[in-house]
Amino acid sequence: MKSVYKFLLIFLLVIISGFQLSGQEKGKKKNYANTPDEIVPYERFHKPYLNFFDTPQLFTGPGRNKPDPKGLKEVRIGFLGPLDSTELVPQGRQMLNGCILAIEEANKNGGYKGIPFKLMVHNDFGLWGAAANKVVQMDDEHVWAFVGSIDDINTHVALRATLKLEIPMVNTGDPDPTLTETRIPWLIRVISDDRQSSYALAEYIYKVKGLTRVAVIRVDNRYGRVGIKEFREASLRMLHPLVLEIRYREGDTVFAKQIQRVIDSNPDAIVLWANAEAGGMIIKQIREKGITLPIFGCDRLMSPEVLKIAGKDAEGLVTTCQYNPTLNNPKLKAFQKHYYERFGIEPDVFAAHAYDGMNILIAAIRKAGLNRYRIRDVLTDLKTFQGYEGITGKIIFDDAFNDIGSIWMTEVKNGKYHFFHSPLDTLVVK
Amino acid sequence: MKKSLLRTKKKKLIPLPLMVIVFFFITGFLPAGKGEKTGTSKMEQPVLSTKADILQEASDMPVYGNWKTFTTKDGLPANKVFCVRIDDDKVYAGTKHGLGVYENGKWKTYSVKDGIAHDGILSIDVSELTGDVWIGTLGGLTRWSGGTFYTFTQLNSGLPNDVIYSVVCVGKDVWVATGGGAGHYNTYTDQWEIYEERNAPMHEPWTYGVCAGDNKIWIAAWGGGVIEYNTKTKKFRDYVDPDEQMELDVFPDDGVVHDITTGVSWADGVLWVATYFGLSWYDGAHWKGYFDHDSGLLSNFINYVKANGRVGWICTDSGLSSFDGKTWVNYQKNKNNSSGKILIVNGPKLTNGVKTKEFPSKTSIAHNFVLGVDFQGDDIWVATSNGVSHGVKIK
Repeated sequence: MKSVYKFLLIFLLVIISGFQLSGQEKGKKKNYANTPDEIVPYERFHKPYLNFFDTPQLFTGPGRNKPDPKGLKEVRIGFLGPLDSTELVPQGRQMLNGCILAIEEANKNGGYKGIPFKLMVHNDFGLWGAAANKVVQMDDEHVWAFVGSIDDINTHVALRATLKLEIPMVNTGDPDPTLTETRIPWLIRVISDDRQSSYALAEYIYKVKGLTRVAVIRVDNRYGRVGIKEFREASLRMLHPLVLEIRYREGDTVFAKQIQRVIDSNPDAIVLWANAEAGGMIIKQIREKGITLPIFGCDRLMSPEVLKIAGKDAEGLVTTCQYNPTLNNPKLKAFQKHYYERFGIEPDVFAAHAYDGMNILIAAIRKAGLNRYRIRDVLTDLKTFQGYEGITGKIIFDDAFNDIGSIWMTEVKNGKYHFFHSPLDTLVVK
Repeated sequence: MKKSLLRTKKKKLIPLPLMVIVFFFITGFLPAGKGEKTGTSKMEQPVLSTKADILQEASDMPVYGNWKTFTTKDGLPANKVFCVRIDDDKVYAGTKHGLGVYENGKWKTYSVKDGIAHDGILSIDVSELTGDVWIGTLGGLTRWSGGTFYTFTQLNSGLPNDVIYSVVCVGKDVWVATGGGAGHYNTYTDQWEIYEERNAPMHEPWTYGVCAGDNKIWIAAWGGGVIEYNTKTKKFRDYVDPDEQMELDVFPDDGVVHDITTGVSWADGVLWVATYFGLSWYDGAHWKGYFDHDSGLLSNFINYVKANGRVGWICTDSGLSSFDGKTWVNYQKNKNNSSGKILIVNGPKLTNGVKTKEFPSKTSIAHNFVLGVDFQGDDIWVATSNGVSHGVKIK
């Protein structure tokens, strides 16, 4: 072959291989929220006209050139959580404790340029729509940012006020997937959401366990409705549509009707989307009926309360969990030790994530200075805290500023939760 | 003699078909850059920019210029201006630190000290029936009537929530969009009604915008699309994104582009819907979606929308867009000085060779983060995150 033909041939091969590489790289691009290919909405039928979260939303407003105020005696950070008048108070207290511990440690380490951080604590339950009013109060108190909350309705309400008032918000306890899908560039979330839980459960149930007929019992409120949506849709796209989805009312203690409907639907597995107390009661009543089907549940069923209520009937229960508290991680062990010494109780998932979220926020304030706009910029730059090694594990933010890091699973064996990796862990960006 | 890459030792040309293949491979198959789409044109730089050129390019659309910006230096209570509302010769500007009223060339500030519920003022409307000014704040709804301020809160009335994102007066009725649902106040009976997910087809209890028109009340329900309330039949219906997904839009013209809606405005038979994901347009029969990549819309992040006759005014985080269904006229401030530009797109979508034409402007709006707009005869007022701007129609 003539040399010029060789050259052209090589040239063509290089271009072709370049295109192939390019194509492979495109193929490597993760779906939104690390959604497995087969679960991507409409993937089998139609390419969407627009994917909204391919790029992060910027904040284009002014304010970054405001200098640090002078003469401050404390640097205020807000806390918004359920502290009164709700069944979420135990979780809210844990979240508050996690924040307090992080603040106290930061103050021991010099605070902000020698000025102590101060937590401005607010309860988001009570008056209708109280969360919005509380965010206004925090603005009036001149907080630089805040951590909150757990309840999905209150957190959404707070978020909307946050945009108007331009206060950075770090969420560490609300797993509602739609929270970060509002495109408000003043929020980051430092906890895996129900989308991640649903994907992990679906993969485990249908792929690992080979089950095909799932019946769902869920709480009839927004947590149940929004939480189960991703699992329901994942099941459908994996060609295993739910055989039943039945609801119970908050406060119910007898679930005979729901369980009978489950029996009638002839499933090979049951999924519960419930709070711990109700979940424990449902499990117990299912087993009392002599039903031996495998039971799976959302992360809120990874709770001592479930073990206490369901007792031996909880054996075999499989749940998701946003972190693994049994890992032999020195930072995690130190946190657990200090937390117990400070508050006299073991930290739960809300305490651990609040601790991580508050530490991220403190680091952002220290880096950006006392300016909400610059603090927001640091929190959402997808660089400073990308891959942050928290006590809850490595935190990976996607373009919606949502934590899509590893999620864990648990199985109850001999009265204890045993942790194992989600089958989807390999999809997580490392 | 040096060898040419295109010739062999015997100086024969490379076979033409091979050259053609290589040429087309290189030129025809190179992937388009990110964001570029077939039919989408890049900005066309201005050659001429006389008023006549601008007006000709804008077709039937009004064009504004000669901008003057007001800030705290001019007496505005704060540079963060959430909203602006005109009442004849008065201009009301709702700011972070009080209500600014511009009259006879001067700004005067009203605040909590005067009786307003909160200094953060998010929305304002004026009753055509009574002339009362209704002020939606971060801490309640204030009625300014006969020189007196009276405040409604959750604790002293049926107001759904104290954060009032939007207020509109319709005859004797006042409607509000709040953090805890939509509220309806009958000024004759002094009765409040609250609408939320338990008595209206809202997915969530949160509302962000409200407007009136065609014997209907339209509510921008955060997470619930648009809620329509027929004032004659007293019945609701909802308009949501048919694909039911938050992260994508399957078809642009199948309904509201996203369920997170931030504002609504109705005029001349058309409902304009603002979202943080694009613009929706509805004529009662057909929906159309407009995005920043496929039309003249400056940004998908829309803070507010107002219909003024046949023209929709879209307040985005990247400037002010206006659109009449055929032509886009956009206003942007330059980054490092007070001048700006007018961008005109003569076509609803950037397809089939439709181009954006840019015309420099010596003056501009105060900032590209635009939060509100209203009209005063042939003049326009624009609320931004860094002051309020006044422009006049170019003739």
